[in-house]
Amino acid sequence: MPEDESFDLVGCLDRVRQRDQSAARDLVEHLYPLVIRIIRAHLPRRVAEEDLAQDIFLKMFTRLEQYQGAVPFPHWVSRIAVTTCIDQLRAQKRRPEFRWADLSENEADVLDAVLTNENDVEAGDALAARELVHKLLAQLKPDDRMVIQLLDLEQKTIAEISGLTGWSQSLVKVRAFRARRKLQKLFKELEQKEHS
Amino acid sequence: MNPTDQKWPRLAAAVRRAPDPRDPAAPYGFATRVAALALAQERAVASLFERFSWRALSVAGLLAAVCLASNYSTLVSAFQNDAVSVDDPVSEIVDIAS
Repeated sequence: MPEDESFDLVGCLDRVRQRDQSAARDLVEHLYPLVIRIIRAHLPRRVAEEDLAQDIFLKMFTRLEQYQGAVPFPHWVSRIAVTTCIDQLRAQKRRPEFRWADLSENEADVLDAVLTNENDVEAGDALAARELVHKLLAQLKPDDRMVIQLLDLEQKTIAEISGLTGWSQSLVKVRAFRARRKLQKLFKELEQKEHS
Repeated sequence: MNPTDQKWPRLAAAVRRAPDPRDPAAPYGFATRVAALALAQERAVASLFERFSWRALSVAGLLAAVCLASNYSTLVSAFQNDAVSVDDPVSEIVDIAS
C-alpha cells in the first residue's frame, strides 16, 4: 500500500475524472512505489520496468470509469499490475535451461549453501539470492511462478492471491503445489550435476 | 516436510530478508508524461467517436436525400392515386349508398 497517509485519494480521483492533469500526475506519483514493487518482484531485471509501469498506469486511467469502489483503490491497481505482469511473463515464452555455468560466483555460492544445507545464506549474499531466485523461477510456468512468488516471497495468503489474480482458491493451491514440486525436482537435478 | 524439502523455503527466506536497494520513487518526468499520455488518449478516443458520428450522420442524410430524389415521381403518383382511388372499397360503398 502507498505510504503517504495524508494523500487525499478520493478527492484526487474526482479531479482525475474531471480531466485534471495535475491530479493525474499526483495519482501516478502516489501509486508508483506500489506498482514498481510488484513489477520488480515478478519480472527479471532485463525487462524495461518503466515501460511496463507506463502500460499499467495507462490501463488504470482507461478503466477508471469501471472502478466502483468495492475494493480499496490501491488493491484495484495492484490487480491490474499483477495481471499485466502475468501477461508479460506469458509473452516471454523462452525458458532457458538452468545451468551452473550461467550463475555468477555469488549466485553459485548461495545455491551451494542452499543445496548442502550446511550454511545459512549470508545477509551480504541477499542480492545474489534474489537473482538466483529469479533464474530458478524462470523455469516455471508463468502462472505457477506468479503464485509461488506471491505465496512464498511476498507471504500473501491464498485468499489474497485469489483476489489479486482472479483465480479460484483451489486453483491457486494447485499451482503452488505444482510450482514447489517443480522446484524440488530442479534442486535435485542441480545436486546431481554438482556431484557429477 | 523432510530436510531435502527445506531448500526452497530457506532460499525464499533469504530473499525476504533482503530489502530491494532500488529507489521506489517515480523517475523524474515519468508521472507528467504518463498523465499527459493518459488524458490525450481519452481525448483522442472521444474526438474519434465525435468525428465518426458526424460523418455517419451526414452520410445517412445524403443517402436519404438520394433515395427520396430517385423515387420522387413514384411517391408523388402513389399519393395522388391514393387521394382519388377508384378501387378504394370505402369509396365504392359510399357510391353505392348514394
